[in-house]
Amino acid sequence: MGESGRKGEIWAVGGGKGGTGKSFVTSGMGTHLAQKGGRTILLDADLGGANLHTLLGMNRNRHSLSDFFDRKVPLSEIVAQSGIANLELITGSFASLDSESINHAQKQKLFRHIRALDADHVLIDLGAGSHINTLDTFLLADKMIVVTTPEITSLENMYQFIKSVYFRKLKLIFKAHNLTATIQGTWKDRATHNIRSLKELIVHLKQSSDDIRDILEREMSGFVIYVVLNQVRTPKDIVVGENLKSVCSNFLGLSVVYAGHSRHDEAVHRSINNKEPFMLLNRFSPVVKEIRTLTEIIAAEPHPLFEKDMVNG
Amino acid sequence: MDKYLQYYDLLELPPEATIKEIHSKYVYLKNLYSCNPIEIQALNEDFSQELREEYLSRLDDAYEKLVLLMDPKKPARIPQSLKIDEETRHWIEQIGCFDGAALRAVRERLGVDLKEMFVVTRIQPHHLQNIENEVFEFFRAEVILRSFIIEYARFLSLDPQRVLADYMPRYQSWTASPEGRGQDDLPDILTMLGQE
Repeated sequence: MGESGRKGEIWAVGGGKGGTGKSFVTSGMGTHLAQKGGRTILLDADLGGANLHTLLGMNRNRHSLSDFFDRKVPLSEIVAQSGIANLELITGSFASLDSESINHAQKQKLFRHIRALDADHVLIDLGAGSHINTLDTFLLADKMIVVTTPEITSLENMYQFIKSVYFRKLKLIFKAHNLTATIQGTWKDRATHNIRSLKELIVHLKQSSDDIRDILEREMSGFVIYVVLNQVRTPKDIVVGENLKSVCSNFLGLSVVYAGHSRHDEAVHRSINNKEPFMLLNRFSPVVKEIRTLTEIIAAEPHPLFEKDMVNG
Repeated sequence: MDKYLQYYDLLELPPEATIKEIHSKYVYLKNLYSCNPIEIQALNEDFSQELREEYLSRLDDAYEKLVLLMDPKKPARIPQSLKIDEETRHWIEQIGCFDGAALRAVRERLGVDLKEMFVVTRIQPHHLQNIENEVFEFFRAEVILRSFIIEYARFLSLDPQRVLADYMPRYQSWTASPEGRGQDDLPDILTMLGQE
């Protein structure tokens, strides 16, 4: 591993609803990647609810993202040691990523700095919601991960979130190819074209022109979202995760990889409340094993071919 | 041939899939989208009744065509468990008591094997067999048997409450018998009361 200029993989963790365990899963995956020996940086981009440091058993860091935005401190200098070897943290701020207060230029600067971070893995923990800044940060990632629980409300929000991500991605593709008017026109006249879902819109657009079909096939080839099912309580819940793949591809037109589940465990719950890094202290908990397994699955999938500049707009 | 690729696509299978894979995937998808689990309900307007019906009929069509393609001699048979005709419905209504043998008779008439049932219910085939043969010593806890029976009934589109009402007393009388008592910690006084 080189000293600098190392091109790490960016993972983003989102999912729409709050309380599904995004930060929990992010810190767990980060700890596992760090334990395997790669330099891992966690970036807490949760709106007003930055608490990755607590999950890692750290006190709040002196520097945070607000220093980056307000005092122009470089991102690499905000990085704090977590106490776990190879694992570092960039604390979130009150003026968070989701906030309206961050303008386009600031966002682009943040993205540039994230990409320039000297690490093997950068894991971004996103807040709830589908704000445009959240979506763009999600799309910045090489591995896009959503965390949901087997509950109807959480699944609804997850579908909403991945649909928003998908729409945003399409919009950026069309914008880059000067096709914005086409997609807007088609969607406006969706009734006449008999388009009832996102999937049917894509099918229609692909059939309408060979150019559009080629563009979409090229740009969307690596577009995969990984689903992590958290707080699983019964074997039946696990089936939910397996079913999501079919449901997403059939009715949202999206490829989804079910990365795995992690179960509800009181021991982990206690260890979080004691401000202990749960991955290190619950070696016999099945949750730790499950988080490791799903991290390996996400890490093993081939690096998607992505046009990074799409997100730059 | 292009059309056949679409059929495979609909069944979410590669074109080299075997007939067995086609069958079990069909049963899986048909069950997933006919029922209303939370992961389907959460789709809301993205999965309207209209879309559902259209999808299911395309699924049936794809399955029939693919089975015909793989084995032209044997016409496709949509598993009757999922499409119960009037005659079968009537026959099921005639059943007086849903004991193990009756459950097996229904299952066999609907042309479902235990493995298919396992794919959907996640109940191991040997448990399903024990239910049908009323081999009760493997069901130490009544609640477990109860939940298995509910799944079993649902899979065959039977009314779970009706089946439970017929089936569970058979288990209960077994636990009360000397043979069953050996397996159980039930105090004798309760068993005696049951015999009164």
